[in-house]
This record gives sequence, structure tokens and C-alpha cells, in this order.
Amino acid sequence: MILRRIILSSGLAATVALAGCASPGGSIYVPSGQSPDIEEAPEPPRTSNPDRTVRKSEQPETSEPERQVSPRHQQQGESLSPAAAGLMREASTLLALENPRGAVSKLERAQRISPRSAEIYYKLSEAYVALDQLGSAEQFTLKGLSLAGSDSSLQRSGWLLLADIRRARGNVAGADQAESRASAL
Amino acid sequence: MLGWDHHSGEITEITQRRATHPARGFVIILRMKKTSNAKKSPKKRSPGSSPRGKSRFWHLVGRVSLVGLVVLTGWVVYLDAVVTSKFEGQRFEVPSRVYARPLELYDGASVSVGALKRELEMSGYRTGNGTQAGTYTQSGSRFVISTRGFRFADGSEPRRRLSLSISGDRVENFRNLSGENTAIARLEPARIGGIYPAHKEDRVLVKLSDLPPVLESALLTIEDREFYDHFGVAPLSIARALWVNIQAGRVVQGGSTLTQQLVKNFYLTRDQTLIRKGNEALMSMLLEAHYEKQDILETYLNEVYLGQAGTRSIHGFGLASQFYFGESLKDLELEQVALLVGLVKGPSYYDPRRNPERALNRRNLVIDTLLANGVIEEVDAQKARAKPLDVTPKPSYSENRYPAYIDLVRRHLARDYKQEDLQSEGLRIFTTLNPAIQYAAEYSVANTLKDMERSRSEPLLEAAMVVTSRDSGEVLALVGGRDPKYAGFNRAVDARRPIGSLIKPFTYLTALQSPERYTLITPVEDRKFALVFDDGRRWEPNNYDGEEHGEVPLHRALSRSYNLAAVRVGLDVGIEAVVETLQKLGVTDPISEYPSMLLGSVSMTPVTVASLYQGLATSGFNIPLRTIRDVTTAQGESLSRYSLAVDQVVDPGAVHLVQYAMQETLQEGTGRSAYRFVPDELGLAGKTGTTDDGRDSWFAGFSGDLLAVTWVGRDDNGPTAYTGATGALPVWARFMAQVPQHGFSPVVPDGVQYHWVNAETGTLTDEHCENARFMPFVTGSEPQDSVSCSGDLTRRLKGWFEGLFQ
Repeated sequence: MILRRIILSSGLAATVALAGCASPGGSIYVPSGQSPDIEEAPEPPRTSNPDRTVRKSEQPETSEPERQVSPRHQQQGESLSPAAAGLMREASTLLALENPRGAVSKLERAQRISPRSAEIYYKLSEAYVALDQLGSAEQFTLKGLSLAGSDSSLQRSGWLLLADIRRARGNVAGADQAESRASAL
Repeated sequence: MLGWDHHSGEITEITQRRATHPARGFVIILRMKKTSNAKKSPKKRSPGSSPRGKSRFWHLVGRVSLVGLVVLTGWVVYLDAVVTSKFEGQRFEVPSRVYARPLELYDGASVSVGALKRELEMSGYRTGNGTQAGTYTQSGSRFVISTRGFRFADGSEPRRRLSLSISGDRVENFRNLSGENTAIARLEPARIGGIYPAHKEDRVLVKLSDLPPVLESALLTIEDREFYDHFGVAPLSIARALWVNIQAGRVVQGGSTLTQQLVKNFYLTRDQTLIRKGNEALMSMLLEAHYEKQDILETYLNEVYLGQAGTRSIHGFGLASQFYFGESLKDLELEQVALLVGLVKGPSYYDPRRNPERALNRRNLVIDTLLANGVIEEVDAQKARAKPLDVTPKPSYSENRYPAYIDLVRRHLARDYKQEDLQSEGLRIFTTLNPAIQYAAEYSVANTLKDMERSRSEPLLEAAMVVTSRDSGEVLALVGGRDPKYAGFNRAVDARRPIGSLIKPFTYLTALQSPERYTLITPVEDRKFALVFDDGRRWEPNNYDGEEHGEVPLHRALSRSYNLAAVRVGLDVGIEAVVETLQKLGVTDPISEYPSMLLGSVSMTPVTVASLYQGLATSGFNIPLRTIRDVTTAQGESLSRYSLAVDQVVDPGAVHLVQYAMQETLQEGTGRSAYRFVPDELGLAGKTGTTDDGRDSWFAGFSGDLLAVTWVGRDDNGPTAYTGATGALPVWARFMAQVPQHGFSPVVPDGVQYHWVNAETGTLTDEHCENARFMPFVTGSEPQDSVSCSGDLTRRLKGWFEGLFQ
């Protein structure tokens, strides 16, 4: 799982050194850049703006060089941290013991730890199905799907889950649509 | 009700008794009233002295005594009911306790060394051996923490001894040194405030087991030496006091026992009448008959009046300890205990802040008395006497640390709870406040404003800031003004200001939901025009710099915040459609449909803006902002849970395109000065906003983990020299730079594909051609024509080589 970084070649193409570290299949974690004593921190060399008077304009100075990074995106979703995975296992146990409320508590803790991992949202969806709150269940499945990225097995389980929930809610057309999305993968 | 569970065995019995008493008491009062009339009339006749009269007299005396006995018995029974009912019921109104979110520790948890130490301190940890619960050791970046355990709404966190180190602002080598291994543990949450009753009585309830060792003996030595031997009153003490007072000709000594003092405060009015004194004595004896000495002492410790903070009276040793020393009672030293004990006699007269000398003398007198009575050793007494008073300069409670945040919590609670219950039931409220984030937010606001004022003479600037967790909608921090400790006007919640260009992403989002008409490279016109209304008025919008930029690709019009282009696009898609987008994303207030709304004439509070931007920061999901996770009873039973909720309201593809342009805003557009503060690796997305004459300077944006909205302006709505980029953005960027977090890197949603395009020509192109950008398109809306720059071999080779090293 390699995080894709796209380097914009506008005018000058240049490689940008990475100081941050990518967690497996996740976005870049950046430790705090500065201590709260920000005044002492040296200014990055990038600011080639000699006169520090702030121009009364909402527009940036045209003299600054084009930034050499471009907007980011990633095709892959993010994987679960081990701590979140542990909480998810506990939630599964609680679900099996027919304690969906307890499961939701655990899953929300897991969600705060790995908020961009599709699995947690699918599990939340399961818990809400057990609570007979199908509207919430459908939304959490959609949220999970939005983070599944290019992982087709994650996508398939999401679409199938969505199909089941929609069918249970009486939305046959929506269910069929979700099912065909699953089988197209 | 209040967790006085150590007497639960007795309570059932007493409750039964209490149930029968009120009725009896009532009947007897009536009889007493009747007889008291009968009592007076015979008295008048009593002077008669005939033998017959004599026998009648004794007869009468007998009757009167009998009646008196009945009356007295009745009265005692009545008092007994009074005494027991208050003691059995809820003895104290206890304010709700408000907690920060607990810090979760696990491998990979995001926390810096400094933040962990602050967090430990706020949760009442001391540096110590790391073995005793509530202590920790630190050597470099390695910590050993002995937790105390805590009952959360979803279960108990046991006591643990945790070992971990911190590297790159992340937890590593997390281990549980006590018992079975665990991948994750929660620290006890810090207490950040309370919700108080109207009479402002506050209390920090203490139990006898929590006292510093010397307190009980000191209190009894000074106030009631025979406490454990008397039955509620101490006739000898009263006699002694009477003798002393008669000799002195004034009241210099009180003979009241602790029980009497408690009864006086608890049940009776303050007037000094003989009847009241009698009642006090009777009730004291009744109290002693019903309850253990320990129970009476504990109630006394929580009831005794020890000071005044404005309108708020300070009752009990637990709160007094916070009030005078800012410390927990159990952590107090001998001289501090002596001062508190000395204060019982007259909290106002001996007030250590107003009358320090008097207070010092009183304290030392207490120390001497303790020494004379063998309670303490000479060495300790000497040491204690040598110490200064050492009270905190300002009354300190942990209570006032985050007034703006607590204010928002109260508003959220008001939806589901009655004020009385919040003030008296001792509820526990678990909020989402993240102390480290709050610290960084307060720091950024205060210091950036200070810098701004240093660089030019501005009238007093104000600011507000809201930080939420991007994917859960939890409000992590709230700053209501530049002085975060000031509990006044809460700008984050109450300052409704025009949002300026913060509205533009929603206009473009509306447009981009029709991919057949708008893509990120659709050319839009940034040229002047005039709108003429039916009533003849003209509206001629302008760019900020007064210039026109001609035909520009949509993404650039957004990232550079061109006004003319934004209004043209808004009018093209229709103002109603933009309003609808805003409403879908959660705006509930009516929005004016004048074209000027396209430039942000619509007013919102910073909190509303944060909730609106939540949908842009995720892939089109509305996520209600929450400040509360759980509310429990004082004992920890769950009363309400406020769960995470998501609701997809906008097409994720269109949102992804807007997110691209909002990242560009910070990299190339109006927000790029942010990268003076923020490391390059931290991908960020956001939008500036400025209103006329710099009256409002806004910035709203997000990283992978956080969404933050900042506002800078003046309370009198006057002009400033700042724009969104020079006022609110530095606050925002300085904040982002301080907080360890994940960069923003959205997952490409279903139905969106990236292509290399030349945005100027609106065509597909090759990666290494000039002006090539890798941009997202809703599938099918990408350009069909392709213009290659294949002739330029050197550039292509160069690109190929660079590709090798990426």
C-alpha cells in the first residue's frame, strides 16, 4: 500500500522531499511543526517576500513562486489501527451477546481512533441494524463506502450490506441497484 | 442519592420510619396549639392560695405537666421527623460535574510530550513513583503512569500501571505493567467545570476516607474536643463557655458541639433566640440518636461555611481547599489544614485574602493549640508556622477554565435537561473537549492578535474560534474571545457576522453537481457587470482588488476568490439552488435571496459556519456538531448518550472537486501564506472570507483530522485593516502548525476520475507538458480533446527520470 503523492509539474517540475511519514494505507501523520514558541521558529525559506507590510488585498502576491505541491487525494482507503481493531472485536462480541448499544459505544471509540476506515462504519451499520434503526444503518454504510476507495472486496461488502438494508426498508429499486454494483465488481 | 452508600444498610429502616412521621408530626402540632391556650389560662388563676385552691393548684400542675409532657413529646417527634427527613433525603444540592474527553492511550495515539504532561496534570496526577495510583514518572520521552481507574458511562476503566514512550508526537511501546495486556486505556477525564444552583452554593463533596490525616483531629481539637463522647450537646462545655462569657462580659467562647453547629446551619434560621437554642439542643440529640458520629462528622465537613466568592458561598472543606489553595483537600499540608480549621470560627473575619495578618495569627494559634494537645509534634509545628499563608491570589476553581465551551455545553444540555436537575443532582457530563486542542486554539488566538496589534495601532481586535473533529463532528475546542478565561460575550456562539467569501464553495458545489455544465476547468467570466432590479436599483459587484481577470478556469476562480466570477456562476445556477445547498448542509436560519448573498452578505456564527463546513470536509455528509458524549447520574448510570450520526446530503463527487479547489486555495490561492506556518506535508484545505472594510475576517478549513473556523473583527463592527488572509488565516495556520495531526488526503469517491489536463486550454494533456494539472472529474465530464506536447523530448525525459525517484 503506497500512498500516492502527485507532484505537479507546473513550469518547473521538482521533487518534494517528504518529512512526514505515511502510515500504512493512511494519510500522512505530521507531528506538530512548531512548539508553541512560534515566534522563535525560523521562517521557512519559501517566503520570498522582503517587505513584510501586509498588502490590503485578499489576493496573494504574484511575486511568490508557484507552490510545488498539488492537491492530494488517494485511491485507497485507510487501514484500521490495531487499537481500533481491538475495540471492533469487542464490539462484535457485544453484538453477539445482543448488546448493540454497548457495541455502538465501542465502535464510536474505534471511529475516533481510525476515522477513515470503512470497516468501522460497516460495523456501526450492523449495530444499528440490530437496534432496528435502519435509516442510520444505511447512512453508516454509505459513509463506509465513501472511504472504501479502490479496495473491491470492501466495496463489495459495502454494496451488499446496503442492498440488504434497503431491501429491509422496502426500497427494492435501491436494493437492486446496490446489488448490481456489487456484482459488477 | 449522592453516593453515601456506606450507610445503605440503615437507610431502608429509617426511610420506613420517616414515612410515618410527617403525619404524626402534623396531628401533634395541632394538639399542641390547642393546649398552649389551655396552658395560659390556668396560669392567671394560680395566685389563689386556699387549701382547696392548693389541691387544685397541684392538680393543675399535674395536668399542666402532663400536657407539657405530651406537648414536648409531640414536639420532639416533630423535630425528629424534620431531622431525619433532611438527613435521609438529598442532603446537598450538588452541581453537575463537567468532564473533558478522556485521553485514550494506545500505540499510535497522537499526543506530544508536553500535551501528555498537561493532560496528566489536569486529571490531577502528580509526579511520583508511578506506582501509587495518581502518580507518574517521566524520563525523557518515556512515561510510567499509574491510573486511578474511573467509571465511564460504558463501563469501568480499572486501575492500571501503564508504560509508554512518545516519539514524533505519537505513543509507542504502550504496555500495561499490571495485569493482563491491553491495547488501549483511558485516563481519568479532567474536570473542566460545573453547573451551579441559583443560590450559587457549590460543593466538592468529600468522604472521611479522603481527608488529609491531620484534619479530623485538628478540627475536633479546635471546635469540639468531646465530639466522640457527648450525645449532641455538651453541658460542661456550655457551662464553661457561659462562665467565660460572663467574666468577659461578652461572647468570647461558644459551647456548641459540631453537631449543634451542623444543626444550626442545616435546619435553623440564624436568629439567636432561646427557643431556637432549645430546638438546636433537642435536634442535636435526636441527630445523635439516629446517626453514627462518622456520618454526622462527614456531613459537617461538607456543610460548614468557609468563605464567599462574590455571590457564591463556599461550603465544605472540599470546595474550600480548591477555593483557597487550588488543590484537592487530600493533598493539603498541615499549615493549610490549620488555616481551614481556623476559618470555621469566622470565614469573613479571618479571610486570608482580605485580612492576611489576622488569618496568619489565627492559623498559628491553631497550630499551637494542636501542639499543646499533642496532636502534632514540635518539629512539624515549627515547620508549619514558618510557612507563609500561600493562598492562591485569585480564587481558583478548576471551574472557570473554559467558560465559552461550558456555555455551549449548557445550551446543548438545555435541549434535554431541566435546569434544576443539572444544578442539584450531581450529574456527570462527559464532553468532547480536547484540552490539548483547546490549549493550542487559545494560544493561537491570543498570540496572533497580540502580534497583529504590535505591528499596527488597531482598535481592540476580537476573535473567535471553533475546532471540531472532521469525521465525528465533536467540538474539540471553542474560543469565545481573545481572553479565553473571561466568561462574557461568547463570540463563537453568539456573534452573527456576514460570512463573505466563505459562501463561495457552496456556490461552486451547487454548480459542480451538474457535471454536464460545470467542471473544475470550465471557463468562467470574471468581468464587471451591473444588475438592475425592478425598482431601479443597480448592483455592481467588484473584485477585492477592483480588477477583472477575464476568463478563468473555475478552480482558479474559487482558489483566488474572484467575486465577479462567483456571482456570475451563482446567478447562472440560481440563488435558490445555492440556498438549497446551504439548507441541505444544515443551515436552518432563513437566508436572503438577494444576489449579494453570493458574496456572503448572509450572517452566521462561527459555530454555524463550522457545522456548514463539516459537509465540505467529509464527502458530503452532514454530521451534527456535538459537545456531549454521555450524561450519567452521580453514581455513573447512563442517562443519555449522544451518538455519532451521519447523513449524506450532497453528491460526494461534487464535494471532492470542491475539496480540490480548497486545497489549491492554500497552496496557490488566497490562503497560501498559511504555509509560512504550516509544514508542507500537512495537506490542508480551506477558504478565506472578508467583508467590506475588513469588518470581518474569516477562515474556515480542515486537515485530515480537524476542522477549524476562525473569525477576527471588532465587537463594534468597525473596519479593520485585515482580510481573511491576513487576520483570521494566521490564527488558523498557527493553530494547525501546533497540533500533531494527519494531513488531508481524500479518498477518490466512486464516479470520479483524475486526468492530466491543461486547464487554460481545457484539454487533456500529458503529465509533463506545460500547465499540466492532475485534476478530478466526474466520470464523463472530462475533456475529450487532447493536446500533447510530444515535441518537447527533453521535458519528457526529465519527467521520466523524476518519475523514477518519486
